[in-house]
Order: sequence, then structure tokens, then C-alpha cells
Amino acid sequence: MAIATASGEQQIPVVAVRDLHKSFGALEVLKGISFSAREGEVVSLIGSSGSGKSTLLRCINMLEVPDSGTVSIDGEEIRLRGAAQQRQIADENQIRRIRSELGMVFQSFNLWAHMTILENVMEAPLVVQRRNRAEVEQEALAMLGKVGIREKADAYPAQLSGGQQQRAAIARALCINPRVMLFDEPTSALDPELEVEVLRVIKVLADEGRTMVLVTHDMEFARSVSDRVIFLHLGMIEEEGSPEAVFGNTQSPRLRQFLNAANHQ
Amino acid sequence: MMDDVNFWLGYLTNGKHLTWYASFQFTIFAAVVGGSLAVVFGLIGATLKNSRFWPLRLIGSTYSSIVRGVPDVLFFLFFPLAFEQGVEWVMASQVCTPDTIAAQSAAWPPCKEANWFLGTPEYLILASVSLGLVYGAFATNVIHGAMRSVPRGQLEAARAYGMTARQVLWRIHIRQMWIYALPGLSNVWMLIVKATSLLSLLQIADIVLWADRLGAPNFLPAVGLVHEDWRWRYYLVLFVFYILVTLVSERAFAALMRRAGRGILVEAR
Repeated sequence: MAIATASGEQQIPVVAVRDLHKSFGALEVLKGISFSAREGEVVSLIGSSGSGKSTLLRCINMLEVPDSGTVSIDGEEIRLRGAAQQRQIADENQIRRIRSELGMVFQSFNLWAHMTILENVMEAPLVVQRRNRAEVEQEALAMLGKVGIREKADAYPAQLSGGQQQRAAIARALCINPRVMLFDEPTSALDPELEVEVLRVIKVLADEGRTMVLVTHDMEFARSVSDRVIFLHLGMIEEEGSPEAVFGNTQSPRLRQFLNAANHQ
Repeated sequence: MMDDVNFWLGYLTNGKHLTWYASFQFTIFAAVVGGSLAVVFGLIGATLKNSRFWPLRLIGSTYSSIVRGVPDVLFFLFFPLAFEQGVEWVMASQVCTPDTIAAQSAAWPPCKEANWFLGTPEYLILASVSLGLVYGAFATNVIHGAMRSVPRGQLEAARAYGMTARQVLWRIHIRQMWIYALPGLSNVWMLIVKATSLLSLLQIADIVLWADRLGAPNFLPAVGLVHEDWRWRYYLVLFVFYILVTLVSERAFAALMRRAGRGILVEAR
């Protein structure tokens, strides 16, 4: 999709989140969060556990339905109905169409265990996007090649290492030609030596100019890959800016504390 | 010696014995059809129990809790009779005229034209459906539990990629549920196999009925006593048959488990 940027026209953000609130029972996890990601932008969400960063990411594709606030993809608002904690998706067709363009990568990979790696990558393009099988297979193999595990195409997820599984999950997300890639702590379940291979793949995607929203606990990586970093604290945005500003010229004492702790892990 | 062999060959291939051998097909038919129906009813029941709408949930859990509590013998007698009379009642409202009703002396059916005669094939099908209904209630519970055992992340990923509820159910949830359900379903299957010995209650001349008849003391006016009470020998044959079915079933379930567990039950690296 071509977006008029040069003309000085107001650019529609690919992801726009406005005033999001979400509670689990009595616990308020998101307390009014707004942010957006423009075409080609890499936005990292950082913060301690319980800060609401994963919940925020999961609200983008409505795996969690917010109690109030809106999420728009390419300017199209996801329709919800009902109030507060009874709020639910209003239009199943709309959400399926939107989800089919959001490539989600989970912390625990969530590759479908009963399918081979190739079947995993081909599944959504075939049954959700209903594309041609031969074309999808070619593209799936190319994506597996891109993440470096083409030779594992016929293996099952359980036969792969964690790093290989996560790269397969990234190939699965890529194969739907996503408007946005959503990463939910993609390396948290991995041993340090396996983290590297996954981070390298994500870095390549970022450098390609893909729009990405990334939840991460890896400050070094957030600094190297992001266009913008958002620090969440207790369900609110505490600080936001370029990686240079956020990491180099930290304003919030909370963030300073958090970064100190992260550095001394 | 030769006479003995000839006697036994002749004895074991006489008409009654051949009918007995043939009656094994009723048992096998009832088990296979009843078992398949139990899985179908179990899937339906479990889906109802998982439904988002409470009336459907209520139907699912009522089915599994009520039917599991009713003795299978009772249900076996009740269901075919109730079904037969229900059909006759519907037919009566269509075909009976005041004249034919007046001409009918028995209390049921209301008129002769509404009589539905059930032979062995009809009873066999009704028996299989009864087995399916009774053991489907057990299968409902087994499958319901198995569906809850599928890791949430597997379903979440499917939703995140835009699958419809039906696609998530059939392509992911049910496909992965079998490895959790098969051990329980193999129990249900063995119960069904055992319950096939009830077929004679529905006037089906099944293996049990024939073993009973053939083993009873046999007296022919022309020959005198052919043999005494041989029932235990015939029952022994049934024992062996049921044990063989058990062994074959175990192998079949092991194969099903391998198939269902492909990719999931691989050895950890």
C-alpha cells in the first residue's frame, strides 16, 4: 500500500491506540494509553513485568479486549461493543480481516504442534487468506530460507530448538505479508545463546523497513533496533522518545531505576 | 480317530453352529457402529459443553450427567421401545382412520396400518444407536476434558492469525485433543464391546444367545442324549473372543495414538 508521505499530507499511522484502559478483575493493568506506529517504524515497549506492556500488545490484535479506548489499523477502527469488562468484538468478519494482516510472534512460539514447520507457515495464507497453494508454498520456503531454517521445513516444532522454533514462528508471521509485526517478548523463553539468532532475524526485518511493535526486556536490543521506545510503568506511559533520548538522556527517575536494574542483571 | 475328526467337523459345521458363527457379525456391527456413534455424540456433547451460550451448555451437561447415570441395560430396553412406539404414534396420526382404529382389537398400535415390525436389522441399528447414546455421554466427558487440556497458546495463535471459531475448533482444537482423549476413549470402547453382550435383550440372536442354546443339554428323540450341559465350553469360546477383541483393540488404539501424536509426542531433543 502506497502512502503519500512526500506530499506533506497527514500520514495515517499503521497502528493507532487511543486512551486504552484494561482491568483484570480489580487489577487495572492499562490506565489510559495512547501511542501510534507509522509506516516503517519500529516501536519498542519496555517496562518491568506487570507494567502492562504485553497486555497492550495483545490489545492491538484484540487477543485482549480493552475495557475502553480504541485501536485502529491503517485508520480503520476495530469495532467493539458492550461496556467495560463485558466489552467484546462487535464484528467477527472485521477482526478476522484485520488479524490476517497482523503477524504475531509469541513468547512461547505457539507453533501448531501437530503440523510440520512448512504446514505452520502455510496455514494462515491458505485457510485464512485463501491464497493459491503453489504460490504460498514457494513463498513459505523462501521465508524459511530467510530465517535460516529451510532444511527444517518437514520437521515438527518439537524437533527444533527454541531458537529455531521462534525463527519458524517469525517465518509464519512473515508469510501472511503483514502490515505490522507484533513481537511479544520473542526471546524471553530462550537461552542466551539462542537469543542471538532470533534477534539477528528481527534486526534484519527492522532494517527492511517493516512496521513493528516489539515488547522486549532486552534493553540493548531495544536501543539498536527501535525508532521509538516507550517505557511503561504501572499501566501508564512514563517516558517515550527516540532510543538516544530514552537511553542516553533519561528523564524519568523510574526509568533510570529500571535501566540500572536491567544493566545489573 | 478318523471317526472322531469327522464327528467334530460335522458337529461344528452343522446349521446351528454356522448360525452361531454368523451371529458374531451382529456383535461386531453393534460395537463398531455404537463406538463410532459414541465418538460423534461425544464430540457434539463436548462442543455443547464448551459453548458460549448457556442453553447449549445446559443441554451438553444434562446429557452427559443424566445418561451416564442410567444403567445401560435399562436404556437398552427403553430407547428402542420408545423409539418404535414413537414412530408408530406418528404413523398412526397419518394413516389411521376411525374404521381401522375400530377394527384394531389390541391396545397398541392404534390401527394395524401403523404397526412397525422390527426385525433383526432394525433392532440391531436401534441397539447400536442406544450404545452410541449411552457411551456418547461418557465420551462427552472424556472429550470435554481433553479439549481443556490443549494448550491455550495453540488456540490463541490460531485466533491471532484470523481463523474463524470453526477453523480453530476443527483445524487446531479437535486435531490436538485426541492425544488427551484416546486413553479415556479406549476405556469407553472396551465398555461398549462388553455391552454388546446385551444384544440378546432385544431379541437379536447374538453370540451369547447361541452359546446358551448350543451348550444346553442336547436331547434328540431319535438319538437320545447328544451331549450334556456343555455351556461352560461355549462360554469359554466367548471369553476367548472377547479377549482377542481386547488385544486387537489395544493395538489399534496404540496405532491411533501414534497417528494423533505425530509431531506432539516426539521425543524431546
